[in-house]
Amino acid sequence: MKLGVLSPDRPFIWMLPLIAILIAFTIIPLFYNIWLSFHEYAPFKRALEPVGLKNWSLLLSDERMWEALGTTILYFVVVLTAEVVLGMGIALLLDTEEFGFGFLRTVLTLTLVVPPAIVGMMYLLIEDPEFGVLTYVLDAAGLLDKATPILSTASTALWGVMLADIWQWTPFMVLIFLAGLRSLPPEPYEAAMLDGASAVMTFRRITLPLLNKVIAVAILIRGIDVFRMFDYVFVMTSGGPGTSTYTLSLYAWQQTFSFIKWGYGATLSLFTLAIILIVANLFIYIAKVRW
Amino acid sequence: MATVEYRRIGKSYGAVEVLKELDLTVEDGTFVVLLGASGCGKTTLLRMTAGLETISAGELSIDGKVVNTVHPRDRDVAMVFQNYALYPTMTVRENIGFSLEVAKKSKAEVAEMVENAARVLNLTEYLDRKPAALSGGQRQRVAMGRAMVRNAKVFLFDEPLSNLDAKLRAHMRVEIRQLHNRLGATTIYVTHDQIEAMTMADRIVLMKDGSIVQEGSPDDLYDRPNSLFVAEFIGTPQINSLEGRIVDDGGSPAFETGGIHVALPAGYGAHTGRRVICGIRPSDVTLDPDGPLRGTMSIAEKTGADVQFYVDIDGREFVAVAPRASYVSAGTTLAFAVAPEKLHMFDAETGRRIEL
Ligand SMILES: Nc1ncnc2c1ncn2[C@@H]1O[C@H](COP(=O)(O)OP(=O)(O)OP(=O)(O)O)[C@@H](O)[C@H]1O
Ligand SMILES: [Mg+2]
Repeated sequence: MKLGVLSPDRPFIWMLPLIAILIAFTIIPLFYNIWLSFHEYAPFKRALEPVGLKNWSLLLSDERMWEALGTTILYFVVVLTAEVVLGMGIALLLDTEEFGFGFLRTVLTLTLVVPPAIVGMMYLLIEDPEFGVLTYVLDAAGLLDKATPILSTASTALWGVMLADIWQWTPFMVLIFLAGLRSLPPEPYEAAMLDGASAVMTFRRITLPLLNKVIAVAILIRGIDVFRMFDYVFVMTSGGPGTSTYTLSLYAWQQTFSFIKWGYGATLSLFTLAIILIVANLFIYIAKVRW
Repeated sequence: MATVEYRRIGKSYGAVEVLKELDLTVEDGTFVVLLGASGCGKTTLLRMTAGLETISAGELSIDGKVVNTVHPRDRDVAMVFQNYALYPTMTVRENIGFSLEVAKKSKAEVAEMVENAARVLNLTEYLDRKPAALSGGQRQRVAMGRAMVRNAKVFLFDEPLSNLDAKLRAHMRVEIRQLHNRLGATTIYVTHDQIEAMTMADRIVLMKDGSIVQEGSPDDLYDRPNSLFVAEFIGTPQINSLEGRIVDDGGSPAFETGGIHVALPAGYGAHTGRRVICGIRPSDVTLDPDGPLRGTMSIAEKTGADVQFYVDIDGREFVAVAPRASYVSAGTTLAFAVAPEKLHMFDAETGRRIEL
C-alpha cells in the first residue's frame, strides 16, 4: 500500500495534530502569560503597557499575596493529608472479596462525576447557618453554636471549604489505593502471617513499601490539583469573610478579572506554576517516582 | 512439642475435590516426607496445616488442640513456600530476620541469628540484596533461612531444595536434618527427590489424587510396597513389572510369563492360577548365566559405580543394575537371577500387593 507522505516511516506527520494542540493550548498561552507579566493594562489608554519588572517586585511585597500563599499551603497540607490517610483507611477496609464490597467500590466513583462547583453548592447548603445539616449536628453536639456560621466566620470558613474537597476527592484516593492493593501479591502476606506479624506490622513493613510508588503518584496528581484549587472557594466563600479564604488561584482571578490587572494576574499565576513545578519535581526526585 | 493429626480431612475448590477423607497422624518430633505426583495435593495439605487454606471437611489438630479455625499467626508453624514468598521490598537480611523482629528480639540477637543462618546457607555475601537481584536457588535458600531462624512447633517444607545444585542439595539435606535433631520439631517435608525422601524421612507418606496410598518408614515402602503404584513410585531406576500368572512348577509356585519361569516363595502356592504383576527391582537381580530372566541387552549406561542394562525380555524392556565391572557392549545376551524373597507380587486387576 502506498501511503506517500502518511507512511509510518515519517512519524512527524502523525505527531502534527498533537503538536498543534500543544502549541495552541499550552505553549502559546504560557509564553503569552510570561510576556503579559512584564506588561500591565492601562485602563485610560485601553492598552497594555510594558512595565518591566514592576509586577514581580510588587508580587514580593504584596501582603495579600503572602496571605493567600499561606492559606493555600494550609489548605494543601490539611486536605492532602486527610485525603491520603482517609483514602488509605477506606481502601484497606474495602480490599476484600466479601459479597457486596464490589458494589461499595462502584458507589465510590459517584462523587467523582459531580462537578466541583456543584459540590461547593451542596456544602453551602450543608453548612448553612439556618438549616444546614452540619450546623445542626455540630450545634446539637455543642461543638459550634448557630451564632458562628461556619462559612462566614474567619476561623472556620477555610475548614468548611476543606470539607467539600475532602468529601469529593477521598474516593479518588480510595480508588487509586484499591487498584494498588488489589494488584499486590498474596504470598508475602501469607509469609508474614506465619512469621507472626500483626496487622499493623504487616501494613507498615509490607503494604506501605510495596505501595509507595502508587501513593507517591496519587499524592503528586492530587497535590497539583489541590494547590491550584479554585472552584470550592469561589462558590462557597468567594474568598471571604474578609480575605481569609483567598487562595493563590482565587487571588489571581480577582486581580485579573475584577481589578482588570491582567499583567499582575499573569504574574500571580506564573508564580503559582513555578511553585508547583519546583515542589512537584523535588517530590518526584525524593520519592523516586518513575514514569 | 506437637503432634499433628489429620482426621478425615477434605478440601474442595467448588466441585473439584482436591483432598479426600485424609487420615494421618504425624507424631511429635518426627520427620515426615510427603511424596506424590505433581498435582496430588501436597501443597494444599501443607497450606491447610499452616492455616492459609480453609479446611472443607474434617478436623486438624496440632498438639491436641483442634485448629481448624485458628489464625495462621497463632499456630506457631514455620513454612518454606514452594514459590518462596519472600518479602520483595526487604533485603535478604531483613527477610530472614523478620520473624525475630516480630518476636521483639534484641538487635544483636537478630543480627547473630541471621548471620548464622546466612553462613549455613552460603548467603553471607548476598545479605544486603533484595530478592529481585537473586537467582532462583539463592531465593530458595533465603526462604529456607527464614524458616531456620524460627523456633516453631511445626515446620513445613514445600520442595525446599528443588532449585539447588546436587552438591548444595546434599549439604542442605544434612543441615535440615541437623536442624531437626537440634529443635526436635515436628516436620512435614514435601519433595520429588527420592534420595531426599529415603535419606531424611522417619516416615514417608505417599499420596495419589488427594488420598494417602501408603504410609510407613522408608524401608517399609521400599521393601513392602502395598501396591504396584507405590512400588513404581519408590526407587530409581523404576521397578520392572512383568505381567503373567502364578503357576505350579512341579510342586512349588513360580511366576510365568511368555515361557519365563521364576521361582516364588512357597507361600504363593495358595494363589496358583492367579493373574499377577511381578515387580522386580533393578538392583535386586544378579547376573547369572543360568538365570531365568534372559534377553538381548540393547543399551548399557554407566552411572558411576554401576552400570544399567536395558534388556529386551519377552518383548518388554527390563532394567537391571550391575557392578561396573560387568559392563559389556550392547547386543550381548544377558541372563539374570533374582532371589524369590525379593519378588513383589501384585494382583493384575487391582494392583494391590499379594500378601503371603
Ligand atoms: N485455587 C484452586 N482452585 C482449584 N483447584 C486448585 C486450586 N489450587 C490448587 N488446585 C488443584 O488442587 C490440586 C492439588 O494442588 P497442589 O498444589 O496441592 O499440588 P501439589 O501436590 O503440591 O503439586 P506439585 O508437586 O506440582 O507442587 C491440583 O490439581 C490443582 O490444580
Ligand atoms: Mg506443590
